Amino acid sequence: MEFEVKRDRLVLRAGGGKWEWHIEPRYWRNPLIYIGILIIAPLVVYFVYRPLLPTIIEANVLAAIAIPLALMTIGTGRLNFGPQFYIGIGGYAAALLSIHYHLSPGLTLLAAALGGLLFGFIMSPISIIAGGLYYSLLTLLFPLLFLEITFIYTDLFKGDTGLAGIAPLVSVGSFSLNLLIYAFISLAMMLIYLFIIDKVLRSRYAVQMAAINDDEEVANSIGVNVNKVKIVSFTIAAMMIAVIGWFYAHYYGTFSGQTFLPLSFMLKIFMVTMIGGRMQIYGCVLGGYFIAFLELILIRTTGDMSSLLLPIILLILLIVLREGLLGLYRKRRYREYLPTLHVRR
Amino acid sequence: MAELLKVTNVSKHFGGLTAVNDVSFSINEGETVGLMGPNGAGKTTLVNMICGSYSADSGKIEFMGKDITRLPPWKRCKLGICRTYQIPRPFPELTAMGSVVVSALHGKDRPNRSFEDAYTEATLYLEFVGLFSKRNVLARDLTLFEMRGLELARALATEPKLIFVDEVMAGLNPAEAEKAVRLIERAKDQFGVTVLWIEHVMAVLMRAAHRVIVLHYGEKIAEGLPQEVANNPMVIESYLGKS
Repeated sequence: MEFEVKRDRLVLRAGGGKWEWHIEPRYWRNPLIYIGILIIAPLVVYFVYRPLLPTIIEANVLAAIAIPLALMTIGTGRLNFGPQFYIGIGGYAAALLSIHYHLSPGLTLLAAALGGLLFGFIMSPISIIAGGLYYSLLTLLFPLLFLEITFIYTDLFKGDTGLAGIAPLVSVGSFSLNLLIYAFISLAMMLIYLFIIDKVLRSRYAVQMAAINDDEEVANSIGVNVNKVKIVSFTIAAMMIAVIGWFYAHYYGTFSGQTFLPLSFMLKIFMVTMIGGRMQIYGCVLGGYFIAFLELILIRTTGDMSSLLLPIILLILLIVLREGLLGLYRKRRYREYLPTLHVRR
Repeated sequence: MAELLKVTNVSKHFGGLTAVNDVSFSINEGETVGLMGPNGAGKTTLVNMICGSYSADSGKIEFMGKDITRLPPWKRCKLGICRTYQIPRPFPELTAMGSVVVSALHGKDRPNRSFEDAYTEATLYLEFVGLFSKRNVLARDLTLFEMRGLELARALATEPKLIFVDEVMAGLNPAEAEKAVRLIERAKDQFGVTVLWIEHVMAVLMRAAHRVIVLHYGEKIAEGLPQEVANNPMVIESYLGKS
């Protein structure tokens, strides 16, 4: 076996074969490299420092919520402040069916997805009726209403304590190994979402969404069926987010509206999308990892102060990095077009 | 010439204000019809009603014999109605190419059109308006004249039968205005579109329009050949006031 470093490539000769790896900058943009890093990371953490595994799961899940939220935002041209409503739908559907009817995680996944689809479809006309601030306020209201409902019907939802006794998704005996498997499941979910939505955002539907984002009325006047695009993107994204609720329920074994439905959780998701890169789907991955690890570092270093410091740091970043972390790179590469949220300054 | 658009007794009120009152006219295929009137005469409101941005309070709008009064804008576009805007409304975050691709993908129903086909066709329209070299420039970074060209390309890419050109001369210098007029005339010849041209500048309509309709305070006060309309006392009065 022979390994050679040339000016523009790395060459590996083994047996009769020869493999070349070009080190031109554009090849570093190959997503396979980053997917490889994301796959290796939990393994490295598992063997080096296991307490980091929950943070990796959290990062993957935050990104997996933010990616469909980006699709919803881009497809409707409006900022949804209530994605956690669908987490609640998926989570409670999975929890109730698992506890009361002892359904397997496979069946509760189906129920959570259908629940998300149904509620997403019912809620989707809001994106047609309301715009701008009114849409944001309306969507903000739903999770809070849902939270109230969980308290009012506390016999069913166990609003104050949460539902416990949900069947785990995996149970292999070892706690650390369970976490490793959960890390890979969460990563798989995030990568599947990323793959699906990337395909959508590179297709003809992306230009429809981009046009709606930029000027809905003009898009309508040049033949784009704006209402259809909004309803489809809203409903599909709601379903995807509901599936994350299902994951949360089976991962923790308990599900409480108090954890996922309040504004604090919404703010975290919102920051993931914006800090990552203004509703850029790849930015969501960056944002998910950034915020999950920033939160961990702050908790470890500042203790209780972290709940105050995290929003302050994120707010400063939101002001300084208007285009988000990925925006720093994409700013100069607008030809590789993927629609983003049009920030009206 | 077959009748393309027929507007019968349309009215539009905004609260107590009557923007368009009982206006009727028709446009034949291949014609260039000028629509003029002082500021606030209701020209753009009328176009908004025909394109579907506003719904008419009363009256009927027919396109190629089909009642389109209650159709949404995107369906009207698919039938062959498209427009440009008085103040250009490009898609700011899209490149010039991207903006035209949206139209080429939508607009008139073209079965089996792929994304790549739309790109190829967008090239044609960008070349037509002279923006091919700026195809990768963001629409927001174009000059006013280029934005107007882009709007025309975007409208033409929907393959319309009837195109509304809303005050294309506004904000352009004389050389650019001349170019814009020639561009619309060429579009008419090359793509066979019928044009309803909303304009303040009389000289342009005198030269380009076959027929002129004049609105004043939301009502039609004159219709006829450009020369006839220019000499119409009511038109002169509406523009210059009573002596």
